[in-house]
Amino acid sequence: MTARGARWLGVACLAASIVLSALGQLAMKNGMRHLHLAGADEIAWPITSAPVRAAIFWTAVGLAAYGASLVAWLAVLVRYRLSYAYPLLALSYVLVYVGATHWPQLLEPATPTRTVGTLLILAGVALASLTGGGSAR
Amino acid sequence: MNDVLLLLAVALLSASQVLQKVGATRRLAGKQKPAEWIAALFSPELAAAIVCIVVGTGLWLAVLYRMDVSRAFPFLSLTTVVVMAASRFLLREPVSLYRWAGVALIAAGITLVAST
Repeated sequence: MTARGARWLGVACLAASIVLSALGQLAMKNGMRHLHLAGADEIAWPITSAPVRAAIFWTAVGLAAYGASLVAWLAVLVRYRLSYAYPLLALSYVLVYVGATHWPQLLEPATPTRTVGTLLILAGVALASLTGGGSAR
Repeated sequence: MNDVLLLLAVALLSASQVLQKVGATRRLAGKQKPAEWIAALFSPELAAAIVCIVVGTGLWLAVLYRMDVSRAFPFLSLTTVVVMAASRFLLREPVSLYRWAGVALIAAGITLVAST
């Protein structure tokens, strides 16, 4: 592989693990929300209740995304130092916040404090990845 | 008691990152085939990393069930700092002052995001 191709693959793995980890969190949260909607008597075998089915579906999607993000993360760690890559993973908190406040199924309230928090994370990620040396092992 | 369990979860999740890094460098570097990757997941380093993630996440969720997120999240932000210290002192990676400052901002941000 060319050096340019290898670099592109590293960035793609990093982006995939950040996005998949955020999607995993949002899907699992949605699964738990559906479970909350179901009455206690609906949690029974065989599963006929729509909320329980939705809960299982979203939790499974969340776990699958989580597993995929773990594999992508290992591919990241092959290529970058842990001290370079780990701070970037905090971007998934920002994605979770944007997703949780905008996904119609969740629509959690955005608050000024939380928005300031996500901006701090973004500033921190920028600062942490400012100095290079990431690609050496 | 809950605080002790949360600290244990932070320790396990941080240890998992170090184990994943060691496993990736030792077992995955240069490997291309999916079968080689699956085999590597059973190496001592990566198997231990996965156990740490599963137990750490389980512990985290169990405590979260009984505690406010806003109280629990500052502990999670500790992970960022602990992983950075482990990279520096266990893995001997160079960590610049900028990076330490960035990590401090990230930890503060995570705490704010979880506050109500």
